[in-house]
Amino acid sequence: MPLLAALHERFKEERPFEGLSIAACLHITAETAMLVRLLRAGGAAVSLAASNPLSTQDDIAAALAVNHGIEVFARAGVDRKGYYRHIELALAQAPDGPHLVIDDGGDLVNTLHTRAASLLPNVLGGCESTTTGVIRLRRMAAEGALAFPVIAANDTATKRMVDNTCGTGQSAIDGILRATNTLLAGKTVVVAGFGASGRGVAEYARGFGAQVIVTEVDPVRALDASLRGFRVLPMARAAPLGEVFVTATGSVDVITADHLAVMRDGAILANAGHFDVEIDVRALAGLAVAVHRDVRPHVDAYDLGDGRTLLLLAEGRVVNLVAAEGHPPEVMDLAFGVEALALAWLAAATSGSTGDKLPAGVHEVPAGIDAEAAALVLAATGTSIDTLTAAQLAYRESWRIGS
Amino acid sequence: MSADQPPYLVADLSLAAFGRKEIQLAEHEMPGLMAVRAEYAPSQPLRGARITGSLHMTVQTAVLIETLTALGAQVRWASCNIFSTQDHAAAAVAVGPDGTPDDPKGIPVFAWKGESLEEYWHCAELALTWPGTDGPNMILDDGGDATLFVHKGAEYEKAGGVPSPSADDPEEWVIILDRLRNSLADHPGKWTRAAASIQGVTEETTTGVHRLYEMYRAGTLLFPAINVNDSVTKSKFDNKYGCRHSLIDGIKRGTDVLIGGKVAVVCGYGDVGKGCAESLRGQGARVIVTEIDPICALQAAMDGYQVATLEDVVESADIFITATGNRDVITAGHMNRMKHQAIVGNIGHFDNEIDMAGLAKLPGVRRLTIKPQVDEWNFADGRGIIVLSEGRLLNLGNATGHPSFVMSNSFTNQVIAQVELFTKNTEYPIGVHTLPKHLDEKVARLHLDALGVRLTQLTKEQADYIGVTVDGPYKPEHYRY
Repeated sequence: MPLLAALHERFKEERPFEGLSIAACLHITAETAMLVRLLRAGGAAVSLAASNPLSTQDDIAAALAVNHGIEVFARAGVDRKGYYRHIELALAQAPDGPHLVIDDGGDLVNTLHTRAASLLPNVLGGCESTTTGVIRLRRMAAEGALAFPVIAANDTATKRMVDNTCGTGQSAIDGILRATNTLLAGKTVVVAGFGASGRGVAEYARGFGAQVIVTEVDPVRALDASLRGFRVLPMARAAPLGEVFVTATGSVDVITADHLAVMRDGAILANAGHFDVEIDVRALAGLAVAVHRDVRPHVDAYDLGDGRTLLLLAEGRVVNLVAAEGHPPEVMDLAFGVEALALAWLAAATSGSTGDKLPAGVHEVPAGIDAEAAALVLAATGTSIDTLTAAQLAYRESWRIGS
Repeated sequence: MSADQPPYLVADLSLAAFGRKEIQLAEHEMPGLMAVRAEYAPSQPLRGARITGSLHMTVQTAVLIETLTALGAQVRWASCNIFSTQDHAAAAVAVGPDGTPDDPKGIPVFAWKGESLEEYWHCAELALTWPGTDGPNMILDDGGDATLFVHKGAEYEKAGGVPSPSADDPEEWVIILDRLRNSLADHPGKWTRAAASIQGVTEETTTGVHRLYEMYRAGTLLFPAINVNDSVTKSKFDNKYGCRHSLIDGIKRGTDVLIGGKVAVVCGYGDVGKGCAESLRGQGARVIVTEIDPICALQAAMDGYQVATLEDVVESADIFITATGNRDVITAGHMNRMKHQAIVGNIGHFDNEIDMAGLAKLPGVRRLTIKPQVDEWNFADGRGIIVLSEGRLLNLGNATGHPSFVMSNSFTNQVIAQVELFTKNTEYPIGVHTLPKHLDEKVARLHLDALGVRLTQLTKEQADYIGVTVDGPYKPEHYRY
């Protein structure tokens, strides 16, 4: 993780989080551990809860607690109640609550505004890591419910490119392969959603030799998929064709009882979106006469009683984290690097040292942070790029010069 | 020279200067042919060869022709397709590198773009007619038309006459029979003598090879043949990489349609179909493959293509390409069901993959020519479809065929095959032969430098370990690349 390593050196010098406490709600993985260590190197006291009940890697959680003095509240396979209790515990670690928060899906910010509202006055701001969380935060902000500024760390060009398209694309396929060991070549793969993540899943599935069908609600994205050579169909028409289904919409009820009812025997259902609401798992259970859990690890076989069996991966939760190892380190390096730079900028902005305080609401990652992160990664990987010459700069900035 | 023996027949000699410039550009992109010239010209292995060529008269073919002459051959040439001649290339070959349009010094070439079928077979006969001799002693064929003409001539001479065509015979067959009938009357025994003098034919393409094997099995093949098509450096390169390049080129020059987002049907997933499907997908089309062979169909499926029958998709697809080498693949009934403005084209050798005659016979159908080689066929209900190159191979009719580099591979095979057959004739009995693998490998080797390829050399130990010699051949005959 060359970017986090480079930032580690810088933050050790600059101490951007001196005296601040940070509560984070993230998938407990080795990459997250690197981010937490970076924040501590920058002077922060960090507490950490899991952002998904199934994604916690217990060995990582233990190492963070034992070796690095991080307050970690996470255990793989915890139930819903325990999951939220862990978040509340993470928020309660600093005496007056955290100064900064890092969220991944919006559960921590949500808990903070509902069950731990007494801590809100102390919070200076935060970062949100995923599309799903940003959508929730914008709804909160629109209702005037968001009490502090949050930077949508998800919404940068590098994050969309590297994290969503490359990271989710690769690891969702990885999860499906590890769980099922199915050959993708020749299979019909239905990808729901052609956003940055769905596009990655679709392109990589095609790279494996699958025939890919895309479903979309957005005409621009649907046109993009079509022009890239994907077949675009409504889910109702794709459902009887697909052999593998991957949801990547950030929405709810993408694959419903009606779709499940017409699927082929042996169809594989996987979700690459953040929450487990894209595939209607309850409807699937309702249709089934029997459910055989863990026929392979993370594969549940739903026997529909008419000779058909549907295979649900990871209980409909995010398959790339549950059945595989999440994004590879290179992806998380860039995503977390941008997040750490944004958080450092936020710490300075909200403490008033860069002038005006940031108002409550959802904010873009400041211009320049994206480029800075990309440049650090390029430098670390030994990739050189060109620099605009003075003449080129002048040309670009003047409206007087034409051909 | 009598009136029916003109020295050449081309569209316009004044195009020669432009043709010569393009030939010089092509020479740079045809490193194999140029290397063969450098290697063999001093020993003149084709001295005494009278080669009749029947092969698309393009700029690349000009480089082939001038390679054959550089090796000592005399050459007469016709195109093997009525639309595929590049008139500037034909002019440059007729004028020759040392001539001028007023004083042409090139070779006798009989070809222009847009020949009628009568003109086409007249050109073929002119190329096969060598004044003052018994005819050619070598044929370089593409599709087998020159070979067919000699064989049919000899057959009818032996039978004592040319049969009358039946009512069901295609127009082209009637024309061939008429021409042979006149020839038998004017020059009795001409084709029997030619067949006897011909030492062999080197055949360029799948279709012609298919004909040769049929004739051999029927016991009617009169001279040995080398199947150049099945050299790896021909079929894989020309069929796959060449068609991958020129199919898209032809569709775009013909229609300028955006391929991204379109549904394209490729009929046939052999080497040509594989290249076509890949390039259409590369441009963003969704490609559907039709196949009759379960192996090729499974290959297409594993490569991620939908495999369907034409019946299932004929009403919904935007672009239809035939690449089967078979007949009646797209019927008039199919075309009558296609979407308005669907594009139909053929990249197989002959024009029988798409039933153009049946299309013309549909009730109420009207043909509107948009531009040369692009016709809109309008149906009675107001729909219309676009047919490229009248159902003949569109990569040559609408574009310029395979690029020079690809043709350098197949033509280097051609030259080496001509040298083999002409100089080692006794080693090749009547039958259909392929080039030995070491020559196939040689053709590839001659093209590596131009691409900056650095080849790894086997050690003696490594060569022994896999049971080959350090200098090849590296693969067994049955290896499928």
